[in-house]
Amino acid sequence: MASNDIIKLVTRAPASRRQLLIGAGTALAGMTLGAPAIAQSKELTIISNIGNASQRDVLQRIASAYEKESGIKVAINNMDHEAHKTAIRSYLVVGAPDICFWFSGNRMKAFVKRELFDDISDLFERENYKSVLGPAAGAVTVDGKQYGLPLGGLLWGLFYRKDVFAEKGWTPPKTMEELLSLGEQAKSAGMIPVSMGTKEMWPAAGWFDHMNLRINGLDKHMALMDGKISYTDPAMLPVFDKWAELINAGLFSPNGTSFGWEQAAAALAQKKAAMMDLAGFIKYGFPEDQQDQIGFAPFPEIVQGMARYEDFALNSIHVPKNAKNKENARDFLAFFYKPDNLSAFLETESAVPPRNDCPPSKEPLVNAAVESLKTVEGSAQYYDRDTDPDMAQEGLKGFQEFMAKPDRRDQILERLETTRKRIFKA
Amino acid sequence: MSTFWRNHRHWIAPTLFIMPGALLFGVVIILASAETIWVSFFDWDGVGEKQWVGLANYVQLLDDPQFHVSLKNNLIWLAMFMLAPPLGLALALLLNQPVRGMRVVKSLFFVPLVLASVTVGVVFTWVYDPTFGLLSLIFGYFGATAPALLSDEHLVTFAVVVAALWPQVAFCLVLFLAGLNNLSEDLIGAGRVDGARGWPMLIHVILPQLREVSFIALAVTVIGALRSFDMVAVMTSGGPFGSSTVLAYQMYEQSIFSYRFGYGAAIATVLFVIMAAFIAWYLRTLLKPEREGI
Repeated sequence: MASNDIIKLVTRAPASRRQLLIGAGTALAGMTLGAPAIAQSKELTIISNIGNASQRDVLQRIASAYEKESGIKVAINNMDHEAHKTAIRSYLVVGAPDICFWFSGNRMKAFVKRELFDDISDLFERENYKSVLGPAAGAVTVDGKQYGLPLGGLLWGLFYRKDVFAEKGWTPPKTMEELLSLGEQAKSAGMIPVSMGTKEMWPAAGWFDHMNLRINGLDKHMALMDGKISYTDPAMLPVFDKWAELINAGLFSPNGTSFGWEQAAAALAQKKAAMMDLAGFIKYGFPEDQQDQIGFAPFPEIVQGMARYEDFALNSIHVPKNAKNKENARDFLAFFYKPDNLSAFLETESAVPPRNDCPPSKEPLVNAAVESLKTVEGSAQYYDRDTDPDMAQEGLKGFQEFMAKPDRRDQILERLETTRKRIFKA
Repeated sequence: MSTFWRNHRHWIAPTLFIMPGALLFGVVIILASAETIWVSFFDWDGVGEKQWVGLANYVQLLDDPQFHVSLKNNLIWLAMFMLAPPLGLALALLLNQPVRGMRVVKSLFFVPLVLASVTVGVVFTWVYDPTFGLLSLIFGYFGATAPALLSDEHLVTFAVVVAALWPQVAFCLVLFLAGLNNLSEDLIGAGRVDGARGWPMLIHVILPQLREVSFIALAVTVIGALRSFDMVAVMTSGGPFGSSTVLAYQMYEQSIFSYRFGYGAAIATVLFVIMAAFIAWYLRTLLKPEREGI
């Protein structure tokens, strides 16, 4: 979603007339669709990849409310988040549910290209989603048609503990120099400057995204994601040089490859680390009574004057092409996507709601992200969501290796370039 | 009817009994293997159209540094797993004593066999953890810092194999304990009369009787080493940066994460050829004494 006016996505412009229209539209849709739905009394199956219990509960609650209203039985099958990434490829082909969760952007496009997701432009039209979604609609649009509904947005950046920063008199770094000097201070305080666990590889790619967006900007970054720029391009060198400088300065957790992000987040929560690069879901690493101590700061500037581009990843929900009850699925999505239901669902993961008519959040991390997004001039999603999955696999591995062995830069880039040529037939 | 049955039952009955197993084996193993080999000649993402590429996948394998790492790691697995039968035998001899409370000790040695290999993997991941693991506690006790085994590209495979050896040794131990129970008392008695004890007794009287058991232990160990996958997946996901990947894991990674089913099938085929060579040798050695009527 390389849209340059993400601000619209989050500024909750008062649109009373529009809201009235939407309300009327939903009511009409409910009236026309409600009757046949009851007559059919079918079962609707949903496959969910939601990991956290509270969000599952909210989904279950919404489903129960829908059951009561429509008389359609809703069955939710919960899957492990990581296992779901592999399972979806087979169940979309054989045994598709009526609704499933996935990721918007390039990852969605992979299935759209293979005609595995249903075109739900009619639902967009009927519910007039385009007017409330703004740029977020772009993340689920391929060739002018919509193939899913965008869910919560995750804004990536640096997180820290407010109490630790207040106690030490630190401020979140705004430039590379400040980041390096903060790193020195953290180290002399016996803390890890930036907590990073790369066992699952992707956290290293997030750091690469930040660096590349800050140094080369959004257009070049997206060109790299689309396989149009070589990994051995001279523009890539400063990114890795700067990154190597940070690694050699001891900024990141030692032995980072032996643990995952949860342990890295725990180090931040336990005041063993000063900062961490993640999105709002970092709060799962914190005990509930300390979650209000989490502070958010954008990734520091590197090239002066470069516009602020960020990773802003949007999850999404879809109707598979092979679903049995496509009409009921649309009906449920319309219900699920009502502002109240949607915001209740997103609140639990501190995600930014894609609709601009959702009630304001009570969650400080969401509001911090919303506030921060106002100065973002464009966004990518995340390395493994923006580029080809095959490329992403090699890339993630390469970045993980680079963080452990920065002196192997040339070999790694060479390898990535071979992979890029193979995949994008460049 | 009854004459037909009488004339033909010598082959009808066994055929009927073998049918279900043969059918299942044919569909699940033979057909699936044949299809895998077929797929390895295509460029296929698992969903869309297959595109015939001939031997291109295999040519690419030869140039793939990751493939060489996987192959090397498989050899490390194979070599280290060879420790399992002798260790199992040593433990079995040790535990095969008529001492009070030995049953409890024996069952303690069986524990890893009861655990799912995923559990073993998770437990060892904790043991190896450089910050709070048992290993770091032990090293800390002596005032040293434990190496982060799972993030060192040179040590990681050895660390994973050690974890996998634990249940494998227990398995060999069980096999040998069963074998030791079936020793012929007559032969041992005769040996004792001839003055054999200690090493000569073990080497000339006991071990020859354990020949078949050793053979099974060896075969199971080799196959276990070649198809190693779960431990790698649980403990390292092939990392750091692919340095602990084995063929089976690389096949999975290429097919599932990189969406390259053709390439994954080519890796599977290579693994299949290696295994087939071993199994052919195994069957030959197993069948030879049978055919000779020994």
